[in-house]
Amino acid sequence: MGGTPPGRRVLWATSIATLVFLCAPIVIVVVVSFNASEFIQFPPQGWSLRWYRNYLGSRQWLDPTLLSLRVALVTTVLASVLGTAAAIGLTRGRFRGRRALELFFVSPMVVPTIVLAIGLYLLFARFRLVGQPLVLYLAHTVVASPLVIVIVSAALRTTDPAIELAARSLGAGYLRTLWHVTLPAIRPAVISGAAFAFLVSFDEVVLAIFLGGPATTTLPKRMWESVRYEIDPTLTAISTLLVLIPIVILGGVELVRRSARGATT
Amino acid sequence: MTARRYWRSREGLTVVATLAFFLAVYVYPLTRLLAWSLFSPGFTLQHYARLFAEPAYFRAFRNTAEISVGVTLLALGLGYPLAYLMSVVSARTRAVLVVLVLVPFWTSVLVRTFAWMIILGRRGLINQLLTQWGLIDRPLALIYNMLGVQVGMVHVLLPFMVFPLLGVMTRIDTTLVTAARSLGASPRQAFLRIFLPLSLPGVSAGCVLVFLLAVGFYITPALLGGEGQVTFTTLIELVVRDLLDWSFGASLSVFLLTVVGVLFVLFSTLLGLDRLTGQGRA
Repeated sequence: MGGTPPGRRVLWATSIATLVFLCAPIVIVVVVSFNASEFIQFPPQGWSLRWYRNYLGSRQWLDPTLLSLRVALVTTVLASVLGTAAAIGLTRGRFRGRRALELFFVSPMVVPTIVLAIGLYLLFARFRLVGQPLVLYLAHTVVASPLVIVIVSAALRTTDPAIELAARSLGAGYLRTLWHVTLPAIRPAVISGAAFAFLVSFDEVVLAIFLGGPATTTLPKRMWESVRYEIDPTLTAISTLLVLIPIVILGGVELVRRSARGATT
Repeated sequence: MTARRYWRSREGLTVVATLAFFLAVYVYPLTRLLAWSLFSPGFTLQHYARLFAEPAYFRAFRNTAEISVGVTLLALGLGYPLAYLMSVVSARTRAVLVVLVLVPFWTSVLVRTFAWMIILGRRGLINQLLTQWGLIDRPLALIYNMLGVQVGMVHVLLPFMVFPLLGVMTRIDTTLVTAARSLGASPRQAFLRIFLPLSLPGVSAGCVLVFLLAVGFYITPALLGGEGQVTFTTLIELVVRDLLDWSFGASLSVFLLTVVGVLFVLFSTLLGLDRLTGQGRA
């Protein structure tokens, strides 16, 4: 039903052009990261790993990377716990205003980050907390939790609440049912939500530049400072790593989910 | 269950912790912005009045509208054919195409914007190639202008158009198109009169989503825009960072938040929320 063959061909051509537009910039960054010359050239005249050595050999890049990892890990834990708890309450409860509450919980995904950043700055500045890692943990948890809520809620809607009722009627308490019945059923979704939460925090720029101080410079903040003034080829090496991380993490999670789905069906 | 009984139930209690967190670290800071924008120290609307009084500020408003409408239309123009193709190919081909949209989608916005700086910059790849081939003498200005901002933003926001479209299109009952064809409709007629109208909910949802994200977008306009492309978000940054005028920055923020809030409610009535991020499972 895709139309006549020539119509199909035009459709394929435009779609491939769009996909090239989407993917080419990423391929180009990865390729030029192996460039040997001082300037970014495409295609590179010579190949080397010098920009990776530059990255791995410099404290000004490694310290922010370690901080980003720390912030992302704390955010992942906070967002997974808070998000899963909210998702369970929202999907298993029936009450007026539930839809509005769901909307409220996902709204941080669309609130302009710069607006949230300025609000949080005004709040934390009063307590002289700006520049502390704690501020980044809290701020990133706000923007990471909605993803966990959406993903876990979707999984809860497809699991049968009757199994939980069965456990309860057989004498298990609420918490025991939660731990032994509900959570195992949604484990793949919780892991997937946690992975997204990690990436949201690890890549987050705007909150980091407004709320981070000199001592709390995350990797994206450091990259932002660098990219605004000059184009340092070291950034291409870091960018390549940032392209690979989501592919490895989310690709891995997707494989786990597939095998879990295969096992249950 | 009434709201009161719900909050006393165990399900209610699991929500309360998250709700308390959101009230403290999300709602409260936003209400602080409202307070900053309205009191200094007595109640005043002067910070909002400035927004409409100064032509320079009004220009930021116009730039944002122009960029957001342009980006939305470009994303629709590129996204619709792609989503349509994805909806008609075999499941295996679709999986490959979805991955090709997902990988850029998952990649950090900063990295993608940086990639465009490498490609479109003064000494960027396109200018290098064109100079080598002798097509130009002086480098073309491809970033720090409207073109750069729009290219960078379409790149970031296109998946937000494709996935809502794909979600609606895969749910369209294709036997209707087949029926139209068997009753004598040409492929073009069958598409225009059956498939296209049925896909409109995806079009409106995708457009509202892309538009609302474009309005609040900061990273790409800040890096790829020039002095002529000050948007609402880059204006906010300028006002609080360089002018240290928190009251005015707060009023700009509240205004932007209101616009986005209205669009968000509109979006959620157009399309279920699950599809806001449900892309992977579309």
